[in-house]
Amino acid sequence: MSELFARAIVAGYGAADEILKGVDFAVGKGEIVCIIGPNGAGKSTLLKTISGLLRPKSGTVSLDGKDITGRLPREIARAGLAYVPQEHNIFPSMTVRENLEMGGYIDPGAVPRRIVRAMERFPVLGTKQRHAARTLSGGERQILAMAMALMVEPSVLMLDEPSAGLSPLAAEKLFDAIVEINREGLSIGIVEQNASEALAISSKAYILVDGRNSRTGDAAELAANPEIRRIFLGG
Amino acid sequence: MEVAQLVLNGVMAGTVLAVPAIGLTAIFAVLRFTNFALASHMTIGAFAGFVANTTFGLPIVPSLATAFLVSGFFGWMSDEFVLRRLRASGFVTTAIGSIALTIALENFVRFGFGNQMRGYDLPLRRDWVIQGLRVSPQQVENLAIAVVVVALLFAFLALTRTGKAMRAVADNPMLASIKGINSDTVARLVSFIAMGLAGLGGMLTGLDTTIDPLVGFRTILSVFAAAVVGGLGSIPGAVVGALVVGIGEELSLLFLTPAYRTAVGFLAILLVLTLRPRGILGQRAY
Repeated sequence: MSELFARAIVAGYGAADEILKGVDFAVGKGEIVCIIGPNGAGKSTLLKTISGLLRPKSGTVSLDGKDITGRLPREIARAGLAYVPQEHNIFPSMTVRENLEMGGYIDPGAVPRRIVRAMERFPVLGTKQRHAARTLSGGERQILAMAMALMVEPSVLMLDEPSAGLSPLAAEKLFDAIVEINREGLSIGIVEQNASEALAISSKAYILVDGRNSRTGDAAELAANPEIRRIFLGG
Repeated sequence: MEVAQLVLNGVMAGTVLAVPAIGLTAIFAVLRFTNFALASHMTIGAFAGFVANTTFGLPIVPSLATAFLVSGFFGWMSDEFVLRRLRASGFVTTAIGSIALTIALENFVRFGFGNQMRGYDLPLRRDWVIQGLRVSPQQVENLAIAVVVVALLFAFLALTRTGKAMRAVADNPMLASIKGINSDTVARLVSFIAMGLAGLGGMLTGLDTTIDPLVGFRTILSVFAAAVVGGLGSIPGAVVGALVVGIGEELSLLFLTPAYRTAVGFLAILLVLTLRPRGILGQRAY
């Protein structure tokens, strides 16, 4: 039984614009599922549609058996889905601590306890809690963005290209953190350009090409497929 | 000594100017348009305070609270029923709509109160002279009230969950919606608080002189200049900008007749847009 189901999603940014042309996607309980594909395949558009930033023209999205299709982002957040955009995923003029508070906005009673937990999990946030978020490095910003998403203890976490623009070392640390969070039982959907890393940490993978599902399957099997290796993994 | 007196007057005027300037910049930060209807809300506040003070005999501080509440209510309603519907059409349309709105509201006040100048019921008091500098007790009280109001606003934005949510929407509206913040509620709240501050500023301006339906219209250029000079969208910037414009307007009296004092506002906008378009403190909301 999957936690998150997106079925036959058709969506785009304008009336005549169809970037997604009937995409299926699912994240099961406790899984890491990655979406890979070339630029313009619709990976980020799919995440925006699932999180409510884009209203699908057709198709359905359900979370824990509840229909969330076309609902407002704040309603989807309250339903238990946390989405971390690729860019602009922090409040730059607010402090790290205030960012965490806003991350837990919908559940204010639990905020103090979860801030302590976030700072234990990511010590850099503790040492920089009074710094303005705009002063953080790229890797620290991504950590903060993820920690903000975890402040509501979501049932599914959706990450849009979390390693984009990071140094290899920062990216590696970030992937380690994602795996650790998943081990605690959180289901994670991840869009990544860094296909080899994404496939390495995922149990299942979706390959999108031109707004359609191209391949779906076990991440390790897809990573071993010579054709996939040639196109997405550079070898 | 003349310069020192003008600087002192400028600080007094600038501090009062900061109150509506914060309102203008807060609306820009959250709703992304310049709400020129702030002018008529200054007038509404000034007259609401006038009625509270002269008709109902309330002292000045409760009258100021009345000015805040009444103009804040009008601000909330005018945004809900007029400007919110225009926002989807873009910044320019909404800003032009706010000019039309301010003309309508100003005339609404004119229908009720006429065009004549009116004064608040204030005790007559002798000016204080300190080290050769003259200052009226009312100016000092206005300064103190403005400082307290600005401090309370800063505390609200820095310490309360709602204040932080307002800053979050100003900072990154898309992320705020993902985090579950209701931007419609924040928009209503910012309209209420900002126009409440406008009304309060309108009454504070009137306490030092007189009021008439043009009290907001006469001040809006200075308010706009203060917000632009400080960095449109930056609340600390609005305070800094208001002091710069207030002192600049007073110092201009060394070279210009009072009739040309408003030229300082234009000049300040021109200089800032040419040399530092983001304003003195940039566009940081808080």
